[in-house]
Amino acid sequence: MHRVSSGRRWLACCAAGLLLAGAAAGIAQSTAGAPPTDVKQLYDTSCASCHGTDGRGDGPAADALVPRPRDFTRGTYKFRTTTSGSVPSDDDMYRSIAQGLPGTSMLGWKGILSDGQMRALVVYVKQFSPRFATDRPTLVTPSPAVPSSPASIEKGRAAYDALACGACHGEAGSGAGAVTSGLQDDWGHESHASNLSEPWSFRGGRTSADVYMRLKSGINGSPMPSFADTAKDEDLWHVANYIVSIARKPVWEMTADELKAHYARQAENDAASPVQRGRSLVSTMACSHCHTPVDREGRALPGLNFAGGIKMRLVVWGDVVSANLTSDNETGLGRYGDDDIKRAFTHGIKRDGSRMLPFPMGWPAYAHLTPQDQDAIVAYLRTLPPVKNQIPPPARPGVFTYLASKFQMLIGGKDFPIVVFAGNAGSAGNPGGSPAAARR
Amino acid sequence: MKRILKWVALVVVALAACGFVAFLYFIPPLMSMAPEEFINGEAAMAPPVDGIADPAIRALAERGRYVLMSTDCTGCHVTPGPQGPMPDMYLAGGRKFVTATRGTVVSRNLTPDPETGLARRTDEDVKRVLRSGIYPDGRAISHTAMPWAQFSNWSDEDLHAVVVYLRHVKPVRHEIPPPAPGLAGAIVPEALEVVYGADAGKK
Repeated sequence: MHRVSSGRRWLACCAAGLLLAGAAAGIAQSTAGAPPTDVKQLYDTSCASCHGTDGRGDGPAADALVPRPRDFTRGTYKFRTTTSGSVPSDDDMYRSIAQGLPGTSMLGWKGILSDGQMRALVVYVKQFSPRFATDRPTLVTPSPAVPSSPASIEKGRAAYDALACGACHGEAGSGAGAVTSGLQDDWGHESHASNLSEPWSFRGGRTSADVYMRLKSGINGSPMPSFADTAKDEDLWHVANYIVSIARKPVWEMTADELKAHYARQAENDAASPVQRGRSLVSTMACSHCHTPVDREGRALPGLNFAGGIKMRLVVWGDVVSANLTSDNETGLGRYGDDDIKRAFTHGIKRDGSRMLPFPMGWPAYAHLTPQDQDAIVAYLRTLPPVKNQIPPPARPGVFTYLASKFQMLIGGKDFPIVVFAGNAGSAGNPGGSPAAARR
Repeated sequence: MKRILKWVALVVVALAACGFVAFLYFIPPLMSMAPEEFINGEAAMAPPVDGIADPAIRALAERGRYVLMSTDCTGCHVTPGPQGPMPDMYLAGGRKFVTATRGTVVSRNLTPDPETGLARRTDEDVKRVLRSGIYPDGRAISHTAMPWAQFSNWSDEDLHAVVVYLRHVKPVRHEIPPPAPGLAGAIVPEALEVVYGADAGKK
């Protein structure tokens, strides 16, 4: 009896051991190293700001990002070594995490996260899409590389034209004469064809092997197709060699004279497309930081892009609400003349002649924009679709409150903080005016 | 005689009181100073690039200065003083932000000071924060405090130019405290951010 029992126990131990070994092997395969203690927590702190806690690519910071962060729920991935339409391999996903995607907010996490953490994130991210449960990645089998040579580059140039790459990427890859706007990705977000003369911003890498792989696998989810079935494999290597050959010098390698010529040319291009330049300025000057209302997570309120409505309480000076910058006639900049708009953001003088404080609106800084850039900003603001959002006028405190808080501030040294409120203090979605303003 | 003195004293006291109230009312004269004074003050703070010997670096720094100045980085990174930004503490940081979801942070010292500034960070480290809001130790900063999501749309070349300029501003020793817990909701329930006016750094 005792013997049987111990035999059974031994068998049970064996079975459990096998199971454990199997599980361990499974984990080892996917995480290659010590599994992290809490991958969800890691994802939520490191990835969710952009990709969202549910992996939908709708994190609170996502709205300001071009391109938009990846939506993991569809299982559609751009930078793969798998055939068009296939799910990516684990190594593909690992590469994107470790090396990042140049030119975007997606940083290379190598050196910040451990290998094990990054492998665990691959597994975690995969579970957002049901595709990975059923589909297996089909790897591209690359043909032997064709070394770059003048002849190969020449053939590549011809193939670039034959495959109509220039329709999106422009003549000689520089974007000239191409469809530069109106491209959309599968999610309906704006998509931009890469400037092929600036390889440092190639998301998938800048070597000819990287470029070949993009041509072969396509960039799924974006308008960039795969040419695996439509071009000869050898031609794709030639195109890759051609694209690598048209790289221009980046500013960090230029001489002083080259820089001068470069910035002059850039100013010329900007002058030729003011709306595009204005869009870039408005985005990088972070105008939306104060002029698009957000919830407490910092997520833009839907339909209110640039419609103003963020209330700030400057205790001594009163409540001010950010302006509606859209082209709406009644509540936005629709009836403002070009000079009215420029005077407001460079001199802090509104159309009615009233003055803004030199903070939080940084007009003393924006005054240093070149006249050409100021015009570009106006040109872009004119293109913002109108949103009706009536902004309440500044609510200055009564004289007594004003003097009393000034006394505390100047004599008592009290530090009155600026309180920035979440939500929209304008009229949109707040019938009867702003609840926050009314409470005051 | 005594009565006259009494009246004089009364008038003096009344005048002093009026003067004090007027002082309270008009100081600082934010709404009566000409816009140009603020605009020129902004330019005067940003050191010119003339002193840079290498002409290529100078040209890059000039571009970086333009981008940095027109982006109003000073709005958060100039050390606040009792009478507004302190011009001699250009980009030395010290403004405290209590965020709604990611604790309390203080704007960093962006000057090339070896112990308290960016001299401790590589170009890559600086660019990573500007573009992704991630510090070298993996910590993330709220995009509602530091608009890295918007700055991510800078071209690599402009980003580089900004970093070149930052390497050439005057180093200022100003120690910025590390991030701390504490959320805005505890101060004002509906707040997205509470931004303090006093310098939270240590000279």
